[in-house]
Amino acid sequence: MSRNSALNEWLDKNMGRIFLAPAVTLILIFSIFPLIASLILAFARVRFTGGGFKVRFAGWRNFDKQLFGSEQFHLLGTFTEISVPGWLFGLLATGGLVWWMVRYVRSRFTWFGFIGRLITFAMALGLSWMFAATLLSGNPFGTVGTTLFYVIVGCGIQFVIGTALAFACSQTIRGSTYFRVIFFVPMMITPIGVGYIFRMMADTTKGPFANVWQWVGLGEFAWAADPWAARVFIIVADSWQWIPFVFIMMLAAFESVPRDLGEAAEIDGASRWQSFWEITWPHVLPIAATVMLIRAIEAFKIVDLPNIMTSGGPGIATESVSLQAYYAWRALDLGQASAIAYILLFITVVICVSFFNLVVLARVRNQR
Amino acid sequence: MPNQTEETRGTTKTISIRDLNKFYGSFHALKDFSIDVEAGEFLVLLGPSGCGKSTALRMIAGLESISSGTLQIGEQDATNVLPKYRDIAMVFQSYALYPHKTVAENIGFPLKVAKTPKAEMDAAVRAAAEQVELGELLDRLPGQLSGGQRQRVALARAIIRRPSVFLMDEPLSNLDAKLRGNMRAELKRMQSELGITTIYVTHDQIEAMTLAHRVAIMKDGELQQLATPKEVYSQPANLFVAGFMGSPPMNFLEGGVVNGEFGTEESRFALPGAPDTAHAVVGFRPEDCTLVAPGAGLVDARVYTVEMTGDLVLVTLELGGAHLVVKMDKDFEIDTDVTAGIAVQPDNLFLFDGNSGDRVDWTGPRS
Amino acid sequence: MSTPARPHRSIFEPPAIGQMSLATKIVLYSVLIGWSLFVLFPVYWLLITSFKEATAVNEGPFFIPWVDFQPSLHAWKELFVIDYADTLRAYFNSIIISLAATALSVLVGSMAAYALSRVEYAPNLITILFFVALLALVAVSVGVWGIDWRLAAAVGVALFFFLARAVGNLYQVRLQNGDILFWIISQRILAPIVVVVPIYMMFQSVRMLDTHLAIILTYTVVNMPIVVWLMYDFFNSIPRDLEESAQLDGATMIGIFREIVLPLSRAGLAATTLLVMILSWNEYLLALFLSTSRAQTMPILVAAMNAGERGILWWTMSVAIIVMIIPVVVLAVILQKYISKGLLVGAVKG
Repeated sequence: MSRNSALNEWLDKNMGRIFLAPAVTLILIFSIFPLIASLILAFARVRFTGGGFKVRFAGWRNFDKQLFGSEQFHLLGTFTEISVPGWLFGLLATGGLVWWMVRYVRSRFTWFGFIGRLITFAMALGLSWMFAATLLSGNPFGTVGTTLFYVIVGCGIQFVIGTALAFACSQTIRGSTYFRVIFFVPMMITPIGVGYIFRMMADTTKGPFANVWQWVGLGEFAWAADPWAARVFIIVADSWQWIPFVFIMMLAAFESVPRDLGEAAEIDGASRWQSFWEITWPHVLPIAATVMLIRAIEAFKIVDLPNIMTSGGPGIATESVSLQAYYAWRALDLGQASAIAYILLFITVVICVSFFNLVVLARVRNQR
Repeated sequence: MPNQTEETRGTTKTISIRDLNKFYGSFHALKDFSIDVEAGEFLVLLGPSGCGKSTALRMIAGLESISSGTLQIGEQDATNVLPKYRDIAMVFQSYALYPHKTVAENIGFPLKVAKTPKAEMDAAVRAAAEQVELGELLDRLPGQLSGGQRQRVALARAIIRRPSVFLMDEPLSNLDAKLRGNMRAELKRMQSELGITTIYVTHDQIEAMTLAHRVAIMKDGELQQLATPKEVYSQPANLFVAGFMGSPPMNFLEGGVVNGEFGTEESRFALPGAPDTAHAVVGFRPEDCTLVAPGAGLVDARVYTVEMTGDLVLVTLELGGAHLVVKMDKDFEIDTDVTAGIAVQPDNLFLFDGNSGDRVDWTGPRS
Repeated sequence: MSTPARPHRSIFEPPAIGQMSLATKIVLYSVLIGWSLFVLFPVYWLLITSFKEATAVNEGPFFIPWVDFQPSLHAWKELFVIDYADTLRAYFNSIIISLAATALSVLVGSMAAYALSRVEYAPNLITILFFVALLALVAVSVGVWGIDWRLAAAVGVALFFFLARAVGNLYQVRLQNGDILFWIISQRILAPIVVVVPIYMMFQSVRMLDTHLAIILTYTVVNMPIVVWLMYDFFNSIPRDLEESAQLDGATMIGIFREIVLPLSRAGLAATTLLVMILSWNEYLLALFLSTSRAQTMPILVAAMNAGERGILWWTMSVAIIVMIIPVVVLAVILQKYISKGLLVGAVKG
């Protein structure tokens, strides 16, 4: 009894640590340690020797190769001459970003905020010029551009459709329960499966829409051989799978809007449209921002759909950064794989943290 | 658990609180709080919200750490003792009933965690439920009970352990007015039957007056007065206590005393024996004064509103921006905007120091 | 979920507030039904493909069984009778791995979330940075200089315990619960590709590649941030009075967690479990790295059907995808009544 209670006493006093320890330990072992090891690998050349491997320090060579060297076309894109629209876009983006920085420095200034914004600024500037020099100048872009395309266009489509469906389902209509269940279905299918299903769907000779393709004269069109068609095709599959997630979250958000607010607005004479923009939308906006942040974080990791549907092809047109790193690993080039992964990590962190700080938190700050 | 507590469990205990302080960062929530509670006493901590009364109670319970000072429960120093070894039971404002447990499971929870044998526990639960008249509801869930019934479950859960001390944090404030009256009476009877030391926190002065052996009135983390309800009413320590106790609260006139005469901007009246000060406050209770013809009372004022409450009439008068309330008989009638005099027996006048707010022991006319 | 009951209204009464016009209704329903078709048609195609012979797939689109083509069970037989060993092994691997990983990450994650919502922590940032620096040093000395990893780890641990306190006392930058929470949740930003190579090498060095445990542990860590995030908000929404009352009644923290907090969080736990389960069940990249044959999971099996000599076997692949849906549906049906409610709590304040 007393021994037991002494143990209980000790447990109770240290429970805070005991509850947190497993989580922290697991993260240290499987997240922080690999992160450090990966960083070391990114600056190293790894050679496999018999049973083990040898690590030799290689300095910036891995990054140099990816960013400026022979792999530049793969990661960032092919750079030749910048076209007129490219210059126009690049200069416009630069001007906008500079204006944004100047405005920040003038309004309020903290070193912490300034350095954070400086990183955001540099990233945005780099990416703008990358797009100016590749997409807008008629050159193919690399895996970074492709990944950003998946993230921005894919998440945008998912957000718009998911939110619209959620709003429709949040109305008091008959059968809305059935619609909810149906709309949730794609989330239950494994992404690999989604990839194959959409390969079947898009097959122009024996897929379900073969007759339609024939009829519009695209019967011989090979989706997977055209860069833009292949990218769109992957986005359609990705959206089909993930719209349910946005839908469920936004539905919960719409249903959490207090009913009496809308009713009060209607009694005050607001139209449906006004009541949506004045009452409902501001209420769900913070949740929408969070949902989009979650979606964007996951979208940066995209690897299964391009791998299954096109194997990154044609050429490198649909390859995401993750997939590129995976291919490097498969070629046993661990140093390159880690360097690519770290570049992805850097881009993801900067964009997500900027989004969180400048969109989600700014809202919270303004409310105070 | 030491055996000693087993033996003394259930016997009522004294509580002695010395110089208790609580800081939240730089915020000083409780300032040098000292009270000795006698065994079996019903002590009420009374004050407006944010006065530190709940903080004090939670520190006694052990739910808040003690920044400085000592706390003694019975013979034992309890300053750093874990809540569960303090042998106390607490009733929360929200009742804190476990929504997923039945009434019987809720009441029996303290015994369950103490690993009491099943048969003994069932008997105790039944007895406790009988005591608060909940016998038939043992299988219900809290969500299926009314407010009053939930309150009883919370009480039963507190008494089933036969603790040495009861702590109650505004237990009646979630009930409607009628039920509150009933529960108040029951609570009082139960406490006196069980004879367990009780500390009760409330912002409702009626509860404090009816329940307490002694009332501790608090403001801004400081103890203002500790006395019996009668004393608090008839000899308030300062302006705050005088203004807080009584419903409607005491009327105040601000002015100065010169040569035994109290004067405001509008009027002056004799206050024989009062010490001279530039800044003084005179107070009198609405129930201690009556309306008379203009000029016949202490001061004259204009009638502002007349409210009929059923058993009496409350007349509010305006004098130099201040409102004065007079309780009149239920048949009393008067128009608004007429001038009337307010008459008060000199015995019923309180004099306060205008700067410190403390009551001046003005024995003049009484002796 | 339920729509509020509208009182019966006669046709002569004017439409109440919130009543829709016919045009709005038509647009609304056509959008909803159109989207339902878009969602359901691929699933229907998947289903009929699983009952098609090779010829029915290859000779152009056939839509309706018994009319367009003769359904057959050959693909199902191929997967569950002829190749049953491979299929069933992958299936059970997937079930074991995702169940274990889900249970573990929900347990560990909600414990951490509960602790973060109730206990105040004030870890010293300097000590943590010191720890990370030591970790890097150990990694470098093992990886680059080739020092035995046991020796390096022992020296690292010893150094930490002797020096950490001294360093920590000299400089203090206190973190708060919010910082710890953010740190845990931010782990989700890590793309698996960033950490998977070292994890692969780690498991290789302890000879745990291609085991259940390796994949379970990895999945647990990958999904834990989601659990912590959702459950933290959920626990914060439980009134503290309940726990304080139990504490006064003598319950221990474990007792309170088990008896009061967990039962009250059923809704949140259900939704979190479903989400984590789906994520582990479908995970592809990590399994691709960490399993080769014995611990192979369903997504790998399905993905590998691409590589046959006869081209893609659409029919068997469809069967495999369909059987992969079944457990998720079962779990979703069991937990469905909580889904909407539980997800909301996590999301609203996130």
